[in-house]
Amino acid sequence: MQYQYTAEQTEFKDMLSRFVRDHYDYESRRVYLSSGQGFSKDYWQQLAELGVLGLPFSEALGGLDLPLAYQMAVAEEFGKGLVLEPFLPSVVMAGKLLAASDNSEARDSLIPSLIAGESVLALAWEERDSRGAPGKVLTRAQREGDSVVLNGEKLAVLAAPNADALLVTARDDSGDLNVYLVDTQSPGMTMTAFGSVDGQPAANLRFEQLTLPASAALFKGDALPVLRQILDESLVVMGAEAVGVMDQLLATTVEYCKTRKQFGLPIASFQALQHRIADMVMACERTRSLLWAALQAVGHSHFGDSVAMLKAELGRSGRYVGQQAVQLHGGIGMTEELNVGAYFKRLTAMEVLSGDRDYHLDRLALGSD
Amino acid sequence: MSIFDDSESARFREEVRAFLATAPSEEILEAGRKTTSVFAPFKQAIAWQKILYDKGWVAPSWPEEYGGTGWSIQQRYIFAEECNRRGVPPVLPQGVQMVGPAILGFGSEAQKAALLPGILSGEDFWCQGYSEPGAGSDLASLKCRADSDGDDYVLNGSKTWTTYGHHANKMFALVRTSSEGKPQQGITFLLLDMDLPGLEVRPIIGLDGEPEQCEVFFTDVRVPKANRIGEENQGWTVAKYVLEFERGGSTFGTWLLPAQEKLRAWCTRENAFGERLIDRPALRRRLVELDIEIAAVVHTEKRVNANLKHGENPGPMASMLKILGTEVMQRFSELQLEVAGLDALPVQNQALAVGSEVAPIGDEAALLAMPYYLNTRAASIYAGSNEIQRSLLAKAVMEG
Ligand SMILES: Cc1cc2nc3c(=O)[nH]c(=O)nc-3n(C[C@H](O)[C@H](O)[C@H](O)COP(=O)(O)OP(=O)(O)OC[C@H]3O[C@@H](n4cnc5c(N)ncnc54)[C@H](O)[C@@H]3O)c2cc1C
Repeated sequence: MQYQYTAEQTEFKDMLSRFVRDHYDYESRRVYLSSGQGFSKDYWQQLAELGVLGLPFSEALGGLDLPLAYQMAVAEEFGKGLVLEPFLPSVVMAGKLLAASDNSEARDSLIPSLIAGESVLALAWEERDSRGAPGKVLTRAQREGDSVVLNGEKLAVLAAPNADALLVTARDDSGDLNVYLVDTQSPGMTMTAFGSVDGQPAANLRFEQLTLPASAALFKGDALPVLRQILDESLVVMGAEAVGVMDQLLATTVEYCKTRKQFGLPIASFQALQHRIADMVMACERTRSLLWAALQAVGHSHFGDSVAMLKAELGRSGRYVGQQAVQLHGGIGMTEELNVGAYFKRLTAMEVLSGDRDYHLDRLALGSD
Repeated sequence: MSIFDDSESARFREEVRAFLATAPSEEILEAGRKTTSVFAPFKQAIAWQKILYDKGWVAPSWPEEYGGTGWSIQQRYIFAEECNRRGVPPVLPQGVQMVGPAILGFGSEAQKAALLPGILSGEDFWCQGYSEPGAGSDLASLKCRADSDGDDYVLNGSKTWTTYGHHANKMFALVRTSSEGKPQQGITFLLLDMDLPGLEVRPIIGLDGEPEQCEVFFTDVRVPKANRIGEENQGWTVAKYVLEFERGGSTFGTWLLPAQEKLRAWCTRENAFGERLIDRPALRRRLVELDIEIAAVVHTEKRVNANLKHGENPGPMASMLKILGTEVMQRFSELQLEVAGLDALPVQNQALAVGSEVAPIGDEAALLAMPYYLNTRAASIYAGSNEIQRSLLAKAVMEG
């Protein structure tokens, strides 16, 4: 039973930790945030050179084919440093889904360039009314002769403004869920790009009579089981990022309480705050335990349930740790002067994305979407 | 039947409603809708204050001879209920609720005559210069120095978290005039203009990406001693009086009720699958749980207020009302965020500006959900943090 990273995984994680520390101080992050692109192409390239972008992919595609724990290690370090590069949406979500597809031509042309850091992919699956359920999709893909016509809307598509290609989920004429490869410049698509509350570039997409060649379809049969598997794996990776964010917030808050003085004493000496710190620690540890439990469940029938537990817990604990970190910092926690607020906002975005607490509780309580 | 709905109250409520139906402009109402913290957008908040001033309703808690309304505490609550139901922006508290009472209680007749009219009309906008980088919860440890030099004080030091300091033309400040004795004893309550030489304002960007609070720096700023309120070294007494003055006025419930009604209406809309959020058992239950919390706040406020006479305050119960009110506001902000879902994610400060032509991204109902959630975290920090309030409440109860 794995409850910690192996020696090799730890070595890899330490290397990333150094990379993040060297490149990701609060000031440079601010610069990338306001750069328009929302991240650094230069770092993306460096991450490719470190092998990060190829972790999950087969050697045939040019990847390293390493276990999920490696993706967790990356995400945890990225969480600690609030890294903006789209590892989660581009590699862990879109890349892995494309790699699992039946469309070898699309896969063989795009995955190598993703691994090389030359392109960014995005997965458009969430809709306003799906509220976390990947199968609850209103976007339609209608066959017309040799073409497929897309109509519908996708929300909060992470990394979309920087993407070179989009993977879009839609229901086809037979009612199956399929995934379509869409060029970001396609006529018939309106992209409303925005900065998300956590600084991540994202977009809402609208498709109106967007016409694609039939070869844009990525799967032969119903893609829902594969999509769900990939999304659940991505939630394990997101869980690791959340643990990284929470650990960092906790450490920062403890440090602040030890140095901030009021009434002639460090505020860490007030019992009310000590108890709050203890509750924050428990929130972090609960999430960490459920994270490893979810990793252990990979390949087992209870994987989905384990992931739902993790994400539901992340929703609760992430909120608590974020809110209390702000509270214990007092006024300064409410500003952009310190990075406490930025960590809090990242946790808040994670709570909302990929199904909120209610959605994942329903998965467990009702056993369905 | 309570004193909030006897026939006299009903008549009063009608009168307030009739006024509110036509008095606020569309722009003022938009500012009310786009208020993402306890502080409404500046320009429209002042415009609304001017309208209330013209009507004679701007300072319900003041004595009538100085421009108060002569309303009972219960009528003041009804007024707050109707204002929040109509969605007008709240009057910014620094003038009418803070510096006004200080001048009323401790100012000379000359100071009253010179300063009260501008406070009421909103022509002067005051900011509150209490907190400092090193003095927050422990306010009495403040260090900003005011050294005596002839007829002036010379100020050196800084203030922080000064809400709307970048809009203000005047500040009321607590400054250190003595380091003898207990820290509370060497503090003086001083009024000053924001355009004095040596005074510098630097806005602070908040979690929502907007400036609301400021840092204010003083380098050899000369302020006439005539601007002092009360005696030298008696500032703590003045500040405590100001705190007591407004304590009767807890009105969180008047804001929460209409907000919750709007949220429920939002959950009752049908989506493209023909479903409504309110039909999700878990969410529906949380709405009802919040209803109960809000009802408890409303009735606690009314119960406490019902027993108060003019000029009285609820003492330690004020701490309880502050904790209850702010924490239910925070819970409301969480539920609203959950309802908004993905539509809460885009940062849309342009669309949030009053009069903006920029269309909201996604569902318009969700526009405020995130900034409101973020800003409302401050409610348990400002005005005496909830940790400090809990200590006060417990102490009061235990010491009986
Ligand atoms: C939105 C906003 C608007 C504001 N507007 C103004 C304004 O206009 N003018 C002005 O002067 N000030 C203003 N303030 C400042 C506000 O009054 C202070 O933030 C507040 O007093 C807390 O002080 P602090 O921020 O220094 O936190 P600290 O006092 O450093 O507190 C940090 C943490 O320690 C806790 N703590 C401190 N002492 C104890 C204790 N003894 N026991 C248990 N816990 C303790 C606090 O509760 C908090 O959680 C504003 C603040 C905010 C957030």
